[in-house]
Amino acid sequence: MGTLIIALTYVAYVVIVAVYMVKVVGWLRRPPHIRWDLYPVIHEDHYRYGGSYYEQQEWWTKPRSKNRLRSILFSLKDNFYMGEYYKRNPLYWLFLLPWHLGFIFIIAFHILCFFAAVTMVGGLEISAASASSVGKLLYYILLTTGGFAFITGTFGSIGMIFIRLFDRSLRIYSMPMNYFNYIFFLIVYVSGLFAWLLLDPTLVEYRAYWLGLITLSPPVLHPMTVLHIILFDIFLIYLPFTRSTHYITRILAYFFIRWDDEPNQRGSKMEGQLNNLLGQKVSWEGPHIAAGKTWVEVATVPGFSETKKDSK
Amino acid sequence: MKKLANIEDFSREGVQLVQIDPAELLPLPPPYDKMEKPPIRQLTDEQRKRMDASLDGVVAIGLTPPATPEDEKAFIEKFLAGLEKLFTVENNWTFLQPLIHTLDYCVKCQICSDACPTFLASGEQEIYRPTMRPEILRRIISKYIKKENFILRKFKASDIDLNWQTLARLAELAYRCTLCRRCAQVCLLGCDNALISREIRKIFSQQMGIAPKEIHEKGSVQQLKVGSSTGMTPAALKNVIEFIEEEIEEKTGRKIKIPVDKKGADMLLIHNAGEFLAWPENLEAFAILLDAAGVDWTLSTEIAGYDSVNYGVWYDDFQFARVAILQSQAAKKLGVRKISLGECGHAHKAGIVIADRVLTGDLNIPRESILPLLEEIVFSGRIKLDPSRNNFPVTLHDPCNMVRLMGIVEPQRKILRKICPQFREMVPHGVENYCCGGGSGFAITQSTNFPDWRSAVSGRMKMKQILDAFQEVPGPEIQKYVCAPCSNCKGQFRDMFEYYGVWKKSGILYGGLVELIVNAMVDLKKPFIQWEWH
Repeated sequence: MGTLIIALTYVAYVVIVAVYMVKVVGWLRRPPHIRWDLYPVIHEDHYRYGGSYYEQQEWWTKPRSKNRLRSILFSLKDNFYMGEYYKRNPLYWLFLLPWHLGFIFIIAFHILCFFAAVTMVGGLEISAASASSVGKLLYYILLTTGGFAFITGTFGSIGMIFIRLFDRSLRIYSMPMNYFNYIFFLIVYVSGLFAWLLLDPTLVEYRAYWLGLITLSPPVLHPMTVLHIILFDIFLIYLPFTRSTHYITRILAYFFIRWDDEPNQRGSKMEGQLNNLLGQKVSWEGPHIAAGKTWVEVATVPGFSETKKDSK
Repeated sequence: MKKLANIEDFSREGVQLVQIDPAELLPLPPPYDKMEKPPIRQLTDEQRKRMDASLDGVVAIGLTPPATPEDEKAFIEKFLAGLEKLFTVENNWTFLQPLIHTLDYCVKCQICSDACPTFLASGEQEIYRPTMRPEILRRIISKYIKKENFILRKFKASDIDLNWQTLARLAELAYRCTLCRRCAQVCLLGCDNALISREIRKIFSQQMGIAPKEIHEKGSVQQLKVGSSTGMTPAALKNVIEFIEEEIEEKTGRKIKIPVDKKGADMLLIHNAGEFLAWPENLEAFAILLDAAGVDWTLSTEIAGYDSVNYGVWYDDFQFARVAILQSQAAKKLGVRKISLGECGHAHKAGIVIADRVLTGDLNIPRESILPLLEEIVFSGRIKLDPSRNNFPVTLHDPCNMVRLMGIVEPQRKILRKICPQFREMVPHGVENYCCGGGSGFAITQSTNFPDWRSAVSGRMKMKQILDAFQEVPGPEIQKYVCAPCSNCKGQFRDMFEYYGVWKKSGILYGGLVELIVNAMVDLKKPFIQWEWH
């Protein structure tokens, strides 16, 4: 069993990292699009009221400052706060935020477990009674992170089922997959919560599991802990096939769509990319679009001479 | 109110999905709480036979039902072919990234519904919810494009029956969103459900040749043919300019020669040509102000060079690009240093921002808004202004395209704070403003009962905001001014104020920004603003 969970864990981490990477790279590799910015644009000087560089006369002659750090902090903030939900639907927020925090903290917990295990290989004892203050600190961080993840995840998953069922505006657009996800994630969190509270209150088994992972020595664990680990590994494999990539793509959408205010300049790299796109043949069949022409060819003829029929 | 019970009903044939009930619309303050007439005129039986109104009893496009099952099949197949093209780089590089992102990552959490003025003003009609259109599209894609199997479709609740009725309703529904993008602004996942409305319109236009007449045939096609969506030819433009010069002399005693086709001028100013015909006072005010400030500017008489509108931005990438290219060519021909856009919101967004990635090489002439120049003139002291001449209640409408979609927020406010002692903001305002209700072509769409719908539903939230802004001076005895630096918004206000009888009941007039500046000019003997309803 120990060997199985070690193998499964490695597979799970390879799958989640690989699928997320494929999705994110796929997102980034799409061609440039028409500017579709939406204000406030957070890197702008006047972001507080939503102002842009277009408020200046002859904006193209002025320097354009971009505060990237502010943009990054702003976009990350909502992974932990979700202010629009609090403002517009506080009850939904009450469940949605813990549900998301559950994800973030359970992943963070496992990453911390990895680092803890590395220090354990180096001889550090991680426990409340550790002679090392680092060992003590890591012990309490692991306990807090893991416990917080199990509690918020459990609460959030139950709440999400409840709110999706009882809020009509959510129910009408909900799909069986939503409920499957909530129930599956609830089982993952509850199994962790149960193992932690009743069987392994110091999380010593988790540390043993992670030590076994990096030393490739299968640990002996309580069946409940094993069950939770298997469920968590399946969770990791399943996660990238859901819409969970939005943790990352929402930030990409902010930077590359909503806040993309980069003007096209003559002779720029972007202009070259645009010229390639404008040179591709289109196949739209509307009466005002001539067949077999490139994008730019269609755009540089009036179109009405090709009108074949009434537009209605 | 008859509301949509579930999404599958969208494909039900032979019924009208919902009926707008006046009792459930967003309440307006007195005396607008009791309307004498039904909010939306019913279609006649003859109209109903001719045009599909099965969505909500309102017609923006009004498709004619197919005569035979073969016609229906061909219609559906053509739509699906267009839908596939929407996801190809060569056909839709323009919006591929935001389109796919929205379809893939919207979790239907519905916080955007709370931001949509049409949805809220309608009494939360399910069909107007911002997530409804993407949901229908997503289901069609799942079943007919990706051809996902039955079990997966059930798991993802993505089943839908595709028939002519479904598509006719979808086409209409794409024209119940003003593209104000307030929904996108609140989305924490960066999704843009308003864009989906535009992309659905794109399939119908670019693939099937279907769009409201006022936007396509009488709009962008006419602009490309004769020079302006108003139908005004270059010759007619010259007559209008002469008329405007005479009007200026009559009103102010000043003889101003409006520069036309002036080679090598510093700035080509392009107005929404609707101003020439409906609100010439806006052009008169521009001419007076720019003349007094000594600006080196010109108008153009080239095709599309004298009309800043670009309706393609709402429904068709090619119509958009064609107009944008002609406008740039007009500027290039004159050899101006820059193009400046007059008071028109969508022309701002289209000409300055969106055209940016279509205009390459020497067509990429610098383009800017006129508002920063107006701000500079007002604050430079070049012209003496007396704010007491504008001592009446004034509020500001923020055109979505200019403000939320471009970030031009403060220049117009700084001017109003300086020259209008009784200026007050609407709530909310700036980038959180509400659309006038005439966005994305609605203000020009006059099909059957559609104007009723845009006054009663899509413009209702703005109507309430305006009345609230003037709540301490509600009666007609005190004349009030809604400053709307956008021709389309003014068109909507003209129709909406007429619909509710606002001038008579509340004494509220609408107009542009530059008129207020000129009204405050010390060396004009008479006030420039004439308090007459038109």
